Amino acid sequence: MKSRRRVLLAASALAGLLLARPGLAADQVVKIGIDASLTGGDAQSALLVKNGAVMAIDEANAKHEVPGVKFEAMVLDDGTATAGQYDPAQGAINARKMVADRAVVGAVGPQMSGVGKAMAPILSWGDLAIITPSSTNPDLTDPKFAQQYRPAGKPIYFRTVATDAYQGPNMANYYADTLKVKTLYILDDTGAYGEGLSNAFQAQAEKKGVKILGHDKIDPKAADYAAVLTKIKQLNPDGLYYGGVMQAGVKLVKQAYEILPHSMPKGGGDGLITPEMLTAAGFPAAEGWYCTNASPHVTEDPAAQAWVTAYKAKFNVLPDDYAITSYDASLVIIDAVKTVAATGKKVTRDAVRDAIQAGKVKTLQGVVSFDANGDIEDRVISIFQVHYDKAFPQDDMIHQFKYVGVAPQS
Amino acid sequence: MTTADVYLQQCINGLSLGAMYALLALGFTLVYGILELINFAHFNVFMVGSFVGLGTLSLFGVVPGAASLSGFMLAAVLLGTLLVTMVTSGALGVAIERIALRPLRDVRGPAAMITTIGVSYVLFNLVLLVLGADSKNFPTPLPSVSFAIGGAVLRLREILIWAVSLVLMGLLTWFVQFTRMGRAMRATAQDPEAARMMGVEVDRVIIMAFFLGSALAGAGGLMFGLYYNFTSYIIGFTAGLRAFTAAVLGGIGNVPGAMLGGLIIGLVEAMGGQLISASWADVIIFSILVLVLVFRPSGLLGRVAPNKS
Repeated sequence: MKSRRRVLLAASALAGLLLARPGLAADQVVKIGIDASLTGGDAQSALLVKNGAVMAIDEANAKHEVPGVKFEAMVLDDGTATAGQYDPAQGAINARKMVADRAVVGAVGPQMSGVGKAMAPILSWGDLAIITPSSTNPDLTDPKFAQQYRPAGKPIYFRTVATDAYQGPNMANYYADTLKVKTLYILDDTGAYGEGLSNAFQAQAEKKGVKILGHDKIDPKAADYAAVLTKIKQLNPDGLYYGGVMQAGVKLVKQAYEILPHSMPKGGGDGLITPEMLTAAGFPAAEGWYCTNASPHVTEDPAAQAWVTAYKAKFNVLPDDYAITSYDASLVIIDAVKTVAATGKKVTRDAVRDAIQAGKVKTLQGVVSFDANGDIEDRVISIFQVHYDKAFPQDDMIHQFKYVGVAPQS
Repeated sequence: MTTADVYLQQCINGLSLGAMYALLALGFTLVYGILELINFAHFNVFMVGSFVGLGTLSLFGVVPGAASLSGFMLAAVLLGTLLVTMVTSGALGVAIERIALRPLRDVRGPAAMITTIGVSYVLFNLVLLVLGADSKNFPTPLPSVSFAIGGAVLRLREILIWAVSLVLMGLLTWFVQFTRMGRAMRATAQDPEAARMMGVEVDRVIIMAFFLGSALAGAGGLMFGLYYNFTSYIIGFTAGLRAFTAAVLGGIGNVPGAMLGGLIIGLVEAMGGQLISASWADVIIFSILVLVLVFRPSGLLGRVAPNKS
């Protein structure tokens, strides 16, 4: 405590010095943490997310969006080689790194809910607000779990996406109402996200009268899912639903294509809307899979085309909708810093958090605002179906996932 | 599918897994039989083998998405790839022995075993850093021919994996039983000191054990890629751990034991997935291992290990 006060004193003394001598004044450096799973089974989709956040920061600097403030990105990777995908333990280390650097006043991330659960308590004690562009597990913002994920009190975990409390059930509605599925088999990849999503999906499917023939867990590190898929083939359900990310997803999609009837509807959540689905699982295996995003579909919105072109020009890859939610998350933090700076107060973590909570920010997906728990107020689930359009590159995130529509809210 | 079809299908699934585990298990057993060393680098020699196979196939012009081959071309490409992969993986095994393990040959305690863990991680991270973390598509030169047996499906790739494993295991058995080098290996396994006194060049025997074991792992890696159509830097650990279990189950140091162990583990994995749940596969496999070791500490077919002098 004492040393922190000393640092603050020194910092404000320094700031005072700089203010007093405008000739020498340098911009205050404000850092925005970015955390994504850049190593492992979701590396390519992590890059899209990271790019989105970085782009907003670069644009803010170029436009001098906040006078006297220079933004800097602190990019951290929560994927590890040993996990082969996101690693909650690495997420915890990254959260401590962000908290330890006083210049970090807000963060974008993490990509994965499993990491979010490890980061949230650390960020809470560090008073650091984070906005996730893609982690959808509802527990993270649920007041029931406040003790666990925001032990210091105030909500610090915000989202520019909806949660699996919508993503799972709304897709279950689509399965029951539109695909007319009467019997189902469900798989998940044992992760926090996959388990939560598939359970939420299952609960609503049961409520709709769909018979669940089984719910199995598959080990993302195993290579062979033939045993469980053969069992599913025997039970012959009307549909298959998978909750999870791509480490297991790639193998599941490939092997399901070989073992299960091609006419059986198969689907999953936002964990499947990734470049890996198009290139690693690939065609013809991925053809026909349904997937959802917990955000509105923006990349084909005419109003967003200039942005999409700029993104492609900057990073040489097309964005997906979570690149947009990530860009939006950065915008919200930049806007909060601007609000705080405009009042003449010091840009502190606490002030930025309060500004995020209170803000109504115009972003690519529309006006973003948060409820008392940090959840986005507009909750839209979009459904896509993978369909190979040979006129576009195979890894084209915009054209190979055909937009079906908004999933029916119950 | 009738119930009988399902069990037949799960047998086919399990035998294919088992064939792969058996190829890998042989490498553990060969090295353990001679050095009483558990070679954890073997996990990732298997993984590197699958990448060598991928590279060799692409040198032959077989890349993902290319048309499948047939007849003589297919046989020639597969055989060529298998040979290149096995020799390269074998050479990698020998290099590991020369660079990392020989200097520790006379060091007592677990130093050598820990070193193999280190080597394993070096290989793992090298492949990760050089080739990236995404899973790589493996080409499929095999035509997608399949046979229906009742309601079960037997695909060409399953026949391939069984055939390759059977031939390689047959060759290995012949080598160990009937050649001069094989006899030297068996002699060294029984008593290295006595073998050395009888004029066996123990260094050559050790190199041969590493070469053969790693070559089989390479073949296993190539089969893995052809079978699952992908490879990734991370495939070594799950397969390696199960193969190691297979070797212990059959009796580590015992060549037929490794084959038997591999088949049992493969079948248990498939049947466990059918009868109980896929997520219980590891629990069942390792419970069986514990039970076997409690009641038959030397494994199902008994252990052949050096006498400690």
